[in-house]
Amino acid sequence: MRDFATEFGLGAQSEYLQSGPKAAKGRGARTLLIAALLLIAPAQGCGDGSGDGSSRNDAANSFRGVVLEPGPRPDFTLTDTGGRPFDFRRETDGKVALLFFGYTHCPDVCPVQMAGIAAVLRDLPWEIRDQIEVVFVTTDPARDTPDRLRDWLSEFDPGFVGLRGGMEEINRIQAGLDLPPSVRLSAAPVEGDSYEVGHAAHVLAFAPDGRMRLAYPFGTRQADWKHDLPRLAAAKTRPGS
Amino acid sequence: MQWWCAARGSAWTWSWQAYPGVWLLVFALGAAYWRAARGWGSTGGSRGHPGWFVAGLIGLWVALDWPIGALGAGYLASVHMLQFVLIGLVVPPLLLLGIPPGKPELRHRQSMRLARIATQPLVALILFNVVIVITHLPSVVDTLMASQLGSFAVDMAWLAAGITFWWPVVLDRPERPGFGHPLKVGYLILATIVNTGTFLYLTFSELPVYATFELAPPVYGISARDDQRVAGLLMKVGTAAVLWTAISILFYLWYRSEEDRDSTGVAG
Repeated sequence: MRDFATEFGLGAQSEYLQSGPKAAKGRGARTLLIAALLLIAPAQGCGDGSGDGSSRNDAANSFRGVVLEPGPRPDFTLTDTGGRPFDFRRETDGKVALLFFGYTHCPDVCPVQMAGIAAVLRDLPWEIRDQIEVVFVTTDPARDTPDRLRDWLSEFDPGFVGLRGGMEEINRIQAGLDLPPSVRLSAAPVEGDSYEVGHAAHVLAFAPDGRMRLAYPFGTRQADWKHDLPRLAAAKTRPGS
Repeated sequence: MQWWCAARGSAWTWSWQAYPGVWLLVFALGAAYWRAARGWGSTGGSRGHPGWFVAGLIGLWVALDWPIGALGAGYLASVHMLQFVLIGLVVPPLLLLGIPPGKPELRHRQSMRLARIATQPLVALILFNVVIVITHLPSVVDTLMASQLGSFAVDMAWLAAGITFWWPVVLDRPERPGFGHPLKVGYLILATIVNTGTFLYLTFSELPVYATFELAPPVYGISARDDQRVAGLLMKVGTAAVLWTAISILFYLWYRSEEDRDSTGVAG
């Protein structure tokens, strides 16, 4: 999984963590300030953790996700965990749609991405939460049965939508979004049906305006989601315009 | 093979991993103690209390080696905090209890002078707390835990700071006669208060503060926020448990010494 992600430049945890020294250097003054606060004024230490250098953009009002070329949201229909057809474009129309391709046996990227989004959604006011649809498309339909997919997603948030389809179709959808195809990494099962699936590590976000698109690579922190989701929900125009 | 525990980024597994750097450190400390203890015996003084020292070494080994070392370095902030409590608070007094009174004497006069300054109670208390704060800053944790050398530096900073902090309490020095039991008790009570800032920061932060643990592959589905809250509580409760145990012992020793003095006075 990690090799695949790195190969495609999709972000890997190790890369993210190793970016620390560079980031830390530029944060010397902030680090000293936090240290002073922790020593002399304990209550001042309470914060939201957003001052940890996870920002990707300097401008205070910009998005922390990577802004992509604008385009219409993808038009596809897959089957949800209840066996009903789910028309992505129609069902998410007018909402923020967070689209992720992954699988429930994923040991690292998928649960971290889903847990981060779910944790932040729980903190958002209902009127904003209601404007956000999280859609998880399995890249491992053989093992991700509807029940398993539903149970796994519900561990994060019962409102997350799980979609299944044929691998050919799923890869076609990913190709349309400039994502690499998902591939089974182990040629032969290691233990029973134990294998890993290489897939894109980032979450794609579609704003309610129908055109703005952003990508959130692995390494996106809860602070980033907390910063961006309300702005995305409120976005009616392209960023910077 | 890794020589020291550091964040790996791969999913947690209960498959045993070897960390030879930890074994080397524990062995080197044991060998140094054995060598020094032989010298202490030859000068006619106390040979020390090897049992305490060995207990300290075992504590250090448990805290640094797999699985606690590996979980604490790259998976769970709560286990990282458990490591701190063990390495910074539990192990140092045990190691120091193994050393006889008046030892060790450093060969170099400059080193001895530096050690005397660093182990002055006020200096030691400040040093210890500065190390606590710095080694728990998100930028420091996320930078250092990503590499074996960085993780090693954090562990050794905790150990060195812990030894410095406990030195004036455990090792009675003739040149510091004024730092008796009442002051030692006050010193430890002060120490229970000073780390409150870090505790509050971790426990009540709305969001995970450490990228290392927030983005680590999940262990048994423990959420990053819950893990961090447990870490904060562990810092406060674990530290308090150790320090109040020591305070209770000091109170007892203080009471005993007062009784001895009274009985001597009556007899005289």
